Amino acid sequence: MSSEQDHLKETDTEARFGFKKEQQSAFQTEKGLTEETIRLISDDKDEPDWMLERRLRALRQFHEMPMPTDWPGQPDLSEVDIDEIVPYIRPDIDTRGGVDDWEELPEEIQDTFDKLGIPEAEKNALSGVGAQYESEIVYQNMQEQWEEKGVVFCDMDEAVQEHPDLVEEYFMTKSVPPSDNKFAALHGAVWSGGSFVYVPEDVTVEMPVQAYFRMNSEGMGQFEHTLIVAEENSEVHYIEGCSAPKYSKFNLHSGCVEVFVKEGAHVQYSTVQNWSKNTYNLNTKRAIAEKDATMEWVSGSMGSKATMLYPCTILKGPGATDNHITIAFAGEGQNIDTGAKVYHNAPNTKSTIESKSISKDGGRTNYRGLVHIADGAEDSSTSVECDALMFDNESTSDTMPYMEIEESKVDVAHEATVGKIGDEDVFYLQSRGLDDDDAKQMIVAGFIEPITEELPIEYAVELNRLIELEMEGSLG
Amino acid sequence: MSTQVHATLTEEHVRAISEELGEPDWLLETRLDALDALETLPFPDVIRTPGRTWTDLSELDFESLVDPSTTTEHKEREAPDDAEVLSFAQAIDEHEDLLREQFGSVVDPQTNHLTALQTALFTTGTVVYVPEGVDAEEVTIRTTMNSQSLFNYTLIVAEQSSSVTILERQETGSDADAGDEGKYYSGLVELVAGENSYVQYGSLQDLSEDTYNYQLKRASTETYATADWIDCNIGSRLTKTSVETTLAGEASESKIVGAFYGHNDQHFDVDSRVWHEDEHTTADLVTRGVIDDDARSVYEGVQDVGSEAWSTNSYQRENTLMLSDESEADASPKLIINNHDTEASHSATVGQVDATDLFYMTSRGVSEHLAKNMLVNGFFVPVLDEIEVEELREDVNDRIEDRLQARS
Repeated sequence: MSSEQDHLKETDTEARFGFKKEQQSAFQTEKGLTEETIRLISDDKDEPDWMLERRLRALRQFHEMPMPTDWPGQPDLSEVDIDEIVPYIRPDIDTRGGVDDWEELPEEIQDTFDKLGIPEAEKNALSGVGAQYESEIVYQNMQEQWEEKGVVFCDMDEAVQEHPDLVEEYFMTKSVPPSDNKFAALHGAVWSGGSFVYVPEDVTVEMPVQAYFRMNSEGMGQFEHTLIVAEENSEVHYIEGCSAPKYSKFNLHSGCVEVFVKEGAHVQYSTVQNWSKNTYNLNTKRAIAEKDATMEWVSGSMGSKATMLYPCTILKGPGATDNHITIAFAGEGQNIDTGAKVYHNAPNTKSTIESKSISKDGGRTNYRGLVHIADGAEDSSTSVECDALMFDNESTSDTMPYMEIEESKVDVAHEATVGKIGDEDVFYLQSRGLDDDDAKQMIVAGFIEPITEELPIEYAVELNRLIELEMEGSLG
Repeated sequence: MSTQVHATLTEEHVRAISEELGEPDWLLETRLDALDALETLPFPDVIRTPGRTWTDLSELDFESLVDPSTTTEHKEREAPDDAEVLSFAQAIDEHEDLLREQFGSVVDPQTNHLTALQTALFTTGTVVYVPEGVDAEEVTIRTTMNSQSLFNYTLIVAEQSSSVTILERQETGSDADAGDEGKYYSGLVELVAGENSYVQYGSLQDLSEDTYNYQLKRASTETYATADWIDCNIGSRLTKTSVETTLAGEASESKIVGAFYGHNDQHFDVDSRVWHEDEHTTADLVTRGVIDDDARSVYEGVQDVGSEAWSTNSYQRENTLMLSDESEADASPKLIINNHDTEASHSATVGQVDATDLFYMTSRGVSEHLAKNMLVNGFFVPVLDEIEVEELREDVNDRIEDRLQARS
C-alpha cells in the first residue's frame, strides 16, 4: 500500500470514524440485568408507571426467551454476554432532554460530532439534528416552520414526558412487541434515547430528518428507540447514521425502529451503519403501512462484527407499497446477515426488494429474506433481486430467501446472482487508462449505485468514501 | 412427538428381513446400528418462519403408518443385455463385494431418522451395475406397492466411461392394505457415477393419494462424470423428496429436473440440492410445478459452492403455477458461495397462468377451460424435453393430461 493511501486511511477512517474520547459519566448502572437495574433506569428518567411496567414485562420476556442459535448459517452470538454490558450510561451534562443550541454542548462532545461532520450536514440544509451521544440525546434542533405545522421531532425520552398519549399508544405495542425476539425484549427493558417523529395529516416535511447515534464507552450497549408516526397523506424522510469508535471489548447495539405509515402517507427510512468491527448489531425494524401508503427502507451495512437486521414492512392496507434497498459490505472478520421481510396482508399491495452485497478478505454476507403473501391479498406483486460480488476465495456470500404464497392471484419473482468482478470489465477500464485498483473501485461504485442514488448527496458521498477506504485496505 | 416406531418395531423384525434376503453379517449390523440410532437421530430439517411450518415429518404417526411385519410389492425389471439389473437378494449373491463397497457410500444410513428407518426396514431393492465402457440402453424398474408400508432401496453404479438411462416408477396396487392413517412409502437411491460416465435417472412417483412418501436420492460424481436426475411427482398424500448431487470430481456435471402436479389436498415438498466440491463443475437445477385445489407445494433449492470449487457454474430456476385460489406455494432457493470464481444464479417465480396468453387464446376461439389446460401443458414442456426415456416422458405427459381432464 502506498504511503498516500496509508495517510488517507489514517486521516479518514481512523481519525474521522474510529476515534475515541475519554468520557466521564454522571451515572452508571451496575453490570448485569436485574429488575433493580430497570427500576433505576426508569426512575432516573422520571418515567410514568406504564412505561416502567412495559420495561419490566419486556425484561421477564427477555429472560424467558432462548438465544437464537438455530438459524442456518447465522452469526455466532455466543460472545454476546448481556451480563457484561453496562446497559445504560448517561453523558455528564446537566440538561436531561438535550440542549437547543449547538454551542451549549460540552466541548468534548462538540468535538466528537464535528469529526462526524454533523454541523456541516446541517449547514447543507438537512433540516434537523437529534444527536445521540452515548445513551441519551444531548442535542436537539428543529426548524421553526415544522413546529408551526405541528411536526414533532424530539428525543424519545422527552416524548415519553411531552407526548405520553402518542407514545403509550404506539410504543412497542402494535409494531414490534417485546416478544418479537430476544433482542427486542432486551431493548424493551433497557431502551434509552432515540428519536420520536410525528408528522400530522397532510404535512410534507421537505427536507430529510436526520439523527446520528454513537457509542462511546467500553462494554456499553446502545438501545435507542425510534418511533415515527406519519399521519394520513403526510410525507417524511428520516435518516439514521451510525459510526462508532474502536474498542478491544465487544459492544452490543440493539436498537428498535417502529414506523406507522397511515393512509396515503409516505415514509422513507435511510440508514448507513458503520459500527466498529467489534459490535454486535442486532436490531428490529418494522413498519406498518396502511391503505395506499408507501414505505421505503434504504439500508447500508458497512461496519460491525456481526449484524442481524431484517427491516420488515407489513402491508396492512389495500394498495400499500414497500421498497427495500439494501447494501451489505463485509470485510475481514465481519458477518453481515441482513435482508428484508414483507408481509402482504391486503389486496393490491406491492413490494420490491433490491439487495447488493460485497464480501472480501474472509467476510461473510448473507441475504436472508421473507416474503409472505396472505390468502386474500389478491393482485399483489413482489419482486426480489439479490446480487453479490465476491473479491476473494476466503469470503462467503450466501442468499437465503423464503417465499410463502397463500394467494393465487399474485405475481412473485425472485432472482439472485453471485459472482466475482468481471475480468473483462476490469480489462476494459484498464485499457482506458485506469489502474487495477481504480477500475475495481469504479465497478463497485457502479454496482452499488442503485443504493447511493436513493440517498441525499452527503450520505452518498460518505458511503462511497467508506467503501473506497475499505477497498484500498484490500487492494493496495 | 409421535415418533415411537419402536413400540411396534423390534430387532426381531430387522433380523427376519435380513435373513429372508440372505444378507451377510456386515449388512445386518448396518441395519441394527440404524435401528439403534433411530431414537437419537433428528427428522429432516424443517423450515420455520414466524407462524408457519413448511413440512414437519415428525408430526406423522409412524407407528400407525409403518407395519414392518408385512410388506409386499410387485416388481418388473427390464434390462438390456449389457447392464446388470438385479434384485437386492440377487445382488447379495452375485455382487457382495460391490455392495459392501458402495452401500451407504453416498447416503449415510444415519443421515436422519427416516433414512435410518429405511435402512433398518427395507425389504426390496434393485442394484444396477454398468461395467466399464458399456453404453446400456434403457433400464426400467416398476414397483407396485401392495402393502401398507414399503421400504425400497436402489443402488446404481456406473463404472468408468459407461452410460445408462434408467426409469423407475412407483405406484400403488388396487388391493393394497390401507391402514387407518394411510400408507407409507420410503425410497432411497444411491447413484455412483464413475469417471467419465453418464447416468440419467428418471422417476415417476404415482402412489395412491393416501400414501405418505419420503424419498432421498443422491448422486456422487467422479471426474468428468454426468449425473442427471428427473424427478416427477404426481401421487401421494404428502411427499417429501430431496434430489441431490455431490459434484466430487473435477469437471463433473449434474442436472436436476423436477416436475410436480398437486391437486386436492396433496402436499409436495420437493427439494433439489447440489454441492460443488471440485473445480470446473456445473449444475443446472430446473423445477416446474402446478398446484390446484387445496394443494400446497414447498420447494427448497440449495447450491453450495465449496472453497475448492474454482471456475464453477451453478444455475437454478423454479416456477410454480397456481391454478386455484386455495392452493399455497412456498419456495426458498438458497445460494451458499465460498469461492468467488463462480457464476451462480437462481430464480423463483409463483403466479397464475399468464393473463395475456389466456386472452390471446380465447380471442382465437379456444374456450377458457381448454386454453388454460393447453397453457399448463405448455408450461411442462421444457421439463418434459429433458427426459430421455420415452416411456417416462409419455407416462408423465399422460398423467398430466389425466389431471387436466379431471379439472372441472
